[in-house]
Amino acid sequence: MDKAIIRRVQRRDRIARWTITLGGVAIIVSVIAILVLIVSVTLPLFRPPRDEIVSKTALPAAFSDKEVLALGIDRVELGDRAARDSLTGYVVTQDGRFTFLDFSSRHTPSAVGQVANLSYSTRSVPGALKKTLRFVENHAGTRYSLLWSDGSASLVDAVMKPRFDESGKRSVEHELRTLAAFPPEKGPLPLQALLRAAEGGAVTCVTLLPGNRLSVVRRVSSENLLGEEETIEHRRTIEEGIPGPIRALALDGTGKTLYAGTENGCLAIWQFDAKGQIVHHEVVPAFRDKRAVTALAMVFGDVSLAVGDARGEVTVWSEVRRGDSRKLRLLHRLSQGGKGVREILPSCRKKSLLSLDGDGEIRLDYVTSQRNLLRLTGAGPIRTAGYAPRGNAAIGLGGGDELVVWKIDCPHPEVSWATLFGKVHYEGYAEPEFKWQTTGEEPKFSLVPVIFGTLKATVYAMLFAVPLALFGAVYVSYFTSPGWKNTIKPVVEIMAALPSVVIGFLILLWFAPLLGRWIVAVFTAMVTIPFVFFLFLLAWQGVRKLHWAKRVEHGYEFLVLVPVMVAGAGLACAAAGPLERWLFRSYHGMFTEWLFQVTQKPYEQLNSLAVAFGLGFAVIPIIFSISEDSLSNIPYSLTAASQALGASRWQTLWRIILPSASPGIFAAVMIGFGRAVGETMIVFMAAGNAPLLDISPFNGFRTLSANIAVEIPEAPVGGTLYRVLFLCAVILFVMTFLLNTVAEVVRQRLRKRFGQY
Amino acid sequence: MKTTRTTPTMPSTPEPIQHVMKLPPPHVAGVSRDPSAAEGIRDPIVRSQNLHLYYGATEALKDITLDFPRHDVTALIGPSGCGKSTFLRCLNRMNDLIDGVRTTGVIELDGRDITDKSLDVIELRRRVGMVFQKPTPFPKTIYENVAYGLRIAGVRRKAVLDEIVEKSLRRAALWDEVKDRLHDSALGLSGGQHQRVCIARAIAVDPEIILMDEPCSALDPRSTTRIEDLIGQLRGQYTIIIVTHNMQQAARVSDWTAFLYEGALIEFGPTDRLFTKPQKKETEDYITGRFG
Repeated sequence: MDKAIIRRVQRRDRIARWTITLGGVAIIVSVIAILVLIVSVTLPLFRPPRDEIVSKTALPAAFSDKEVLALGIDRVELGDRAARDSLTGYVVTQDGRFTFLDFSSRHTPSAVGQVANLSYSTRSVPGALKKTLRFVENHAGTRYSLLWSDGSASLVDAVMKPRFDESGKRSVEHELRTLAAFPPEKGPLPLQALLRAAEGGAVTCVTLLPGNRLSVVRRVSSENLLGEEETIEHRRTIEEGIPGPIRALALDGTGKTLYAGTENGCLAIWQFDAKGQIVHHEVVPAFRDKRAVTALAMVFGDVSLAVGDARGEVTVWSEVRRGDSRKLRLLHRLSQGGKGVREILPSCRKKSLLSLDGDGEIRLDYVTSQRNLLRLTGAGPIRTAGYAPRGNAAIGLGGGDELVVWKIDCPHPEVSWATLFGKVHYEGYAEPEFKWQTTGEEPKFSLVPVIFGTLKATVYAMLFAVPLALFGAVYVSYFTSPGWKNTIKPVVEIMAALPSVVIGFLILLWFAPLLGRWIVAVFTAMVTIPFVFFLFLLAWQGVRKLHWAKRVEHGYEFLVLVPVMVAGAGLACAAAGPLERWLFRSYHGMFTEWLFQVTQKPYEQLNSLAVAFGLGFAVIPIIFSISEDSLSNIPYSLTAASQALGASRWQTLWRIILPSASPGIFAAVMIGFGRAVGETMIVFMAAGNAPLLDISPFNGFRTLSANIAVEIPEAPVGGTLYRVLFLCAVILFVMTFLLNTVAEVVRQRLRKRFGQY
Repeated sequence: MKTTRTTPTMPSTPEPIQHVMKLPPPHVAGVSRDPSAAEGIRDPIVRSQNLHLYYGATEALKDITLDFPRHDVTALIGPSGCGKSTFLRCLNRMNDLIDGVRTTGVIELDGRDITDKSLDVIELRRRVGMVFQKPTPFPKTIYENVAYGLRIAGVRRKAVLDEIVEKSLRRAALWDEVKDRLHDSALGLSGGQHQRVCIARAIAVDPEIILMDEPCSALDPRSTTRIEDLIGQLRGQYTIIIVTHNMQQAARVSDWTAFLYEGALIEFGPTDRLFTKPQKKETEDYITGRFG
């Protein structure tokens, strides 16, 4: 041959080889890249929380003679481009001053204790002239209840307003806003005061008076008929029903529920109505060993109460419904420290709690997952602590008047393996549960219901699709006449071309209501069709010797069987009405009523059966087509050889064809399974998307894929929900990957055993 | 007068193996035979009378009248497409599996018309076994391959199966090669062994007639020799009808030869006479290689 031609052929071979190799490698690389991408988004969920001391400085000399009563810190993360955070701390001293300290360094702090720019400014609380502070209580971020030396009480908010000048430089303006002030009362000076301003203007002030009495003043502002603002104060003194000497108090956000913790280990609850009348009072002996309750705080959300005790343990209590009554019950036990808990500071963003114990150790716990996130160490015993409202920083005053500021990096405290895959006791639930519910103050991220939903969808769909598709494939490839085969196969394959959104739409708007109306007929048909079928077969024995019957038996069976099936279905429809009325006569003659009475769950129109039909419809063409191909690929010579040995068609099918085609059939089922697992649009539209954990075919579910589709538009980028949804994607990926791998391994083994067809 | 090997009426169960082994070597072309044997065949096992076969409108077999002598080897020869395989498949109704095939005429097996639509085809195929051109071992073990025909007939007892499998494999001259790996997949054997498995499988159901459709055309020369030896050993117990392309093979293994051309039977007679003194010009042209 001409050398030039040989060279050209070789060159083309090379090009083809390289192109194919490149294509294959590119596919593998891109699949791996996708996996790496989605895994990298989920990884921060599992990164352990970190803390870092950003500042460790002696308290400025100006404070040397004043007693520090409280601390506060605020950290605003300005993002990657600004490269540094705005970090503002403040110190509340006995003379009624809030001193703001700027801890934002202009340079990255190279070593602990070197804050380059520590400037401070002082704001006096308005009206604090000669008075001094007796008691300070910090709750809900920047709000402070102040009790003054003359017995007056006020509620102030330390506001930090960011300002930007013309060059875009950010500065923070500090302001103290007095939200409410209560003048001194007659009588002895109170020991503690607790103030809360609810939305809508009602302010509640609770003071602890000597002699273990509580005074509750509720100030409600409203407009009167003349359009003037009118303020009414409801006063009440509580002397009875207090189980012991009160050590700590807490008020919820509305100011209508008051909690008191006593020296002898009891919790007392009072609930008030709008006019300050007590509507509920309950005393819970919280600790059997009667340890003192030393600190109380409301967990973010104002539903659960955090209780710190004399043994250094922090427990979380919440009202749980038991029958008709609601009882305060212990939900979570958090990490234990030493001596008594001095302060509990809740975050204003998440259900995390900062607690300071008697040994001066600061612990950070997450309530729902009962996870100890951090122990802030590195500064010796701490006397007083402050926690940033965003939960991303803490400040402490240690021995030797040293101010320590920690940065806390823990963006996803609510997620752990236990909360993702285990039962969690959420607020307001009677017992621990698997729950997916991402809205609300306590997002619930259990993946169990959605994984269960995925499997439920797949299993129901496969129960419907696999028998139909496989029997269809066997019939078409092996029994029907070649002419019909060439018609039936493309028609079934056209089913696969139907977009899943169309199937979902039809299921949602047409099929599910229809199924609801004819549900009894569907079950009746499962009896009538085989029955009619059996009758027909008996009758057929009479005619099968006839010439035309012989022809029908060779590839045209379906021409007579389809009308038989239709007759069976028609019989079911006709019988369903009377049957339903008779069977469920004590339930108004309604199946759905019976179902509700028996299972206590209603018949949902968008239920697993409807989805199974839709999803089955989507996977039938795949399973049918692949298994039909593998059945048709069995060489005719095997069939002939088997029949030449005197085997009937059924014997040949069972003993030769099916075993030989089993690798292909198995692959078909597995590919169908993989498609059903990942299918989104049909389940998204037709499954109702309620993340239920219930095997019943009469209610819906939510799958992993639909979960992503439903929630991703509402998930802030980088947030916990966002990352958990990516975790759903990883699980989906792993599921299909495992499924395909197992399928391939099994297929190869079958192939080795049954030959390569 | 028929002077070829006259075998006493065979018992329906095969003879013990030893006896088979002692049978004389296969026939070799050129050994003199009485030419008058063609005059009439006594005790034919299969009689085809005026058989026509149509594929749709095409007439593939034209008026074939032919008697097959019992317990002899008959070769069907002819150029490609002459209808010899089609004719062979008529004898166990394998043409039923093909759409649009229609036959007229009569084929009698021991006096019973097997073209009758009401005939039990499964029963017929147990009596008339078949070995195909391409070896078709089932994707099963060697043992299960041989036992297949018995299993589908409902034989379950292991002792019976074991005995018949061994006997059939011995008779197919395969036992010594596979006795240690009976439960390995048959697909792992060589092509020649495959074909002998298929022959053993056909023998296992104890047919009266074995149809062989070019059994050696996919095999190498050594395997071909083994199969031909095997045919020689099986003669006398089974009636063997073999379709072959290879005229030397027909001459080597068969007692009788039928030459088909364009769907019609041209000539039938004892093999040595047909090859040495063909009576029709087409036969002579074909066997001397002028066409084919």
